[in-house]
Amino acid sequence: MTAVFPSPEWLEGLKDKLNADERYREIAKNWEGDLFFFIEPEGNLKEQLTFYLDLWHGTCRGAEFSADPLKYPKPVFTLRARYNDITAVLLGKLNPMSAMMTSKLKVSGSMGYMMRNVPTVLDFVRCANEVTKEIV
Amino acid sequence: MQPILKFNLSTGNSEEYRIPETWEKQFLGGASLAARLLYDSLTPSLDPFAPEAPLLFMTGPLTGTSGPTTGRFVICGLSPATGLWSESHIGGFWGPELRSAGYDGLWLTGKADRPVYLWINEGKIEVREAGHLMGKDTYETQDLVKAEVGVKGMRVCVIGPAGEKQVLYASILSDHGRLAGRTGLGAVMGSKNVKAVAVHGTNKIPVFDLTAYMPLRSEANRTLKQDNEAHILHELGSAGAANYAEYLGQMPVKYYSQGAFPEVDKVSGSMMTESILAGTSACQGCVIACGRVVKLEDGNKRKGPEYETTVAFGANLLNSDLSAVVRLGELCDRYGMDTISAGNTLGLAFTLFEQGVLTRSDTDGLDLAWGDVAVIEQLLHKIGRREGIGDLLALGSRRFGAHFKSEEKAVQVNGLEVAYHDPRGVSGMALSYATSPRGACHNQSDYFFVEWGHIFPDLGIDFYERQGGAEKAANVARHQDWRTVFNALTMCIFANVDPAMQVKLINTACGLDWSLEDMMQAGERAWNLKRAINNRLGLTRANDKLPKALLEPLPDGGSAGFIPDLPAMLDAYYTVRGWDPESGRPTKERLLALGLDDIAADLWP
Repeated sequence: MTAVFPSPEWLEGLKDKLNADERYREIAKNWEGDLFFFIEPEGNLKEQLTFYLDLWHGTCRGAEFSADPLKYPKPVFTLRARYNDITAVLLGKLNPMSAMMTSKLKVSGSMGYMMRNVPTVLDFVRCANEVTKEIV
Repeated sequence: MQPILKFNLSTGNSEEYRIPETWEKQFLGGASLAARLLYDSLTPSLDPFAPEAPLLFMTGPLTGTSGPTTGRFVICGLSPATGLWSESHIGGFWGPELRSAGYDGLWLTGKADRPVYLWINEGKIEVREAGHLMGKDTYETQDLVKAEVGVKGMRVCVIGPAGEKQVLYASILSDHGRLAGRTGLGAVMGSKNVKAVAVHGTNKIPVFDLTAYMPLRSEANRTLKQDNEAHILHELGSAGAANYAEYLGQMPVKYYSQGAFPEVDKVSGSMMTESILAGTSACQGCVIACGRVVKLEDGNKRKGPEYETTVAFGANLLNSDLSAVVRLGELCDRYGMDTISAGNTLGLAFTLFEQGVLTRSDTDGLDLAWGDVAVIEQLLHKIGRREGIGDLLALGSRRFGAHFKSEEKAVQVNGLEVAYHDPRGVSGMALSYATSPRGACHNQSDYFFVEWGHIFPDLGIDFYERQGGAEKAANVARHQDWRTVFNALTMCIFANVDPAMQVKLINTACGLDWSLEDMMQAGERAWNLKRAINNRLGLTRANDKLPKALLEPLPDGGSAGFIPDLPAMLDAYYTVRGWDPESGRPTKERLLALGLDDIAADLWP
């Protein structure tokens, strides 16, 4: 299933994709960590957007659109990006590692865990690319 | 600029040398200005160990100004390993201290008639006896000189036994474990009978417009502190890249013959942080602090390894014992030897032993079994002391290979051992290594960062497929120019500074009114100048090559099946550079366009 980003349907589609994708399941089999995203307004996004993903051993245990950061006070990783940058990543126009190396995607959390699991991160982005039909 | 202190070790004569203003504006400082200063003296007949061979310690216009990672300096001359231009960059505090002492550089010639160390204090130079320091390791020597001089805040750079005995990859160390590792300038310092150079000063470091510079440096440092890459380097050190490098096939394994190293995590920056890390260390004014302080079983705190050392004594030799990597790195530091070249040369020895080219009769009875840490340690001692097989290993991989009729198996370019970034995993490094002015160096263009996505669109440095070919030649050339600016400023390549900010820092520090393109042209100018020096020393297009091992595909790992198309990449690169495809020299037109009229006249009489 593909959906328009940003929308609850898109996040639900991503969750389903992560749980159904064999390649992701294999690559991410050791991943243990939830992600909290802050997307800063820019272009067609007028207000800050948040969403949350609970990723565990190659599956997605939970996802919440417009998540309240107070509900998830200690995610393993917090990611911040401007709307145009995150949509460029989702459309495959901006390499995710490039987004990270140039700090267009700011990452807070254990860098050791992140650097150890770059293949998982890249495959997560592949799944996100594949469920993104279009951008608002 | 402040003057350069010229000192002739043979005569004891000193001179304050004022740099022509035009050269300041053309070359800024650091390695670029050093290349201009040394151009005339680096002749084909010059022996790097001859008394007349120069050894130039240079700072840059930002050195010691508390800008982003500006605590560094560079040492330049003629490399005994390559016979080519040599520059070796080093962090710590020594460079800023030299500027505080009133000099922007120290230019040594001649040879002392006995072991000495130099003491430069507030604009005065003194020669002191160093006979009692001979044979002492670099850490001991630093402590002894500091105790002997006894001036608070002084800094000292030293050589170890490897430099005294002219190991061809001997290094120069300062501030405990910071070092100018590559190209063997420690051996040149040793050839001059100089064991150490101590400096101290209290002068303010000159900045053209300090009022304008201060808020800029604050902003640059603030931004740098928030940078992802800086976070990784601070948290994990440069070895934090190990897992990703292995995944890409960038990390050499078993002397560049294997594509994967499943045990990489045991010798990664992540593992170091989670197991033995006891603290971090930083060069002067640096907000990143990539230096590692680790604690091993004996409870003592010591320097932890960076990426290159981790691979040199890890994956390269099939060792996955992190504590052993720490100890082997320390051993090299204490002898004063470059870990990249030492690990690489050992890798060749292990390869030749496995292939039966070397036998126990060649190795002083040692079995060179991959991953045998005790053997590696014994060999490092032998190199540092130039004993037995160590006397041959001390010559580096090219000469060691040639001795056993296996030069083609040495993974080196023009006599400098290839650093631990395999171009089969990140193909831009093929051009970086083949065209670097100092041999197979990763610091003239750490292009693998671009392959990872660290791009600079404002400079025309964009993202290409990591296993691409000729289409990235212009990108590599631009990146080399960009890094040449860093090496002129003596800024660390780990500083992810926005190019527009970089120009502002230069303009306010130097009183210039440069654009981005002016800055890049300064990089290109110095790149071509260093090329011209090497051309005069005999370098031709035939030298722009990669070793055989890197042109054979690996069956597994992140680079599986790929080799860079170097001939096509070089053709494109020559076109971009404006270099003559026959001679390998920059064309007269290109040199003139860069304002290098006298160099053009010399190269194209």
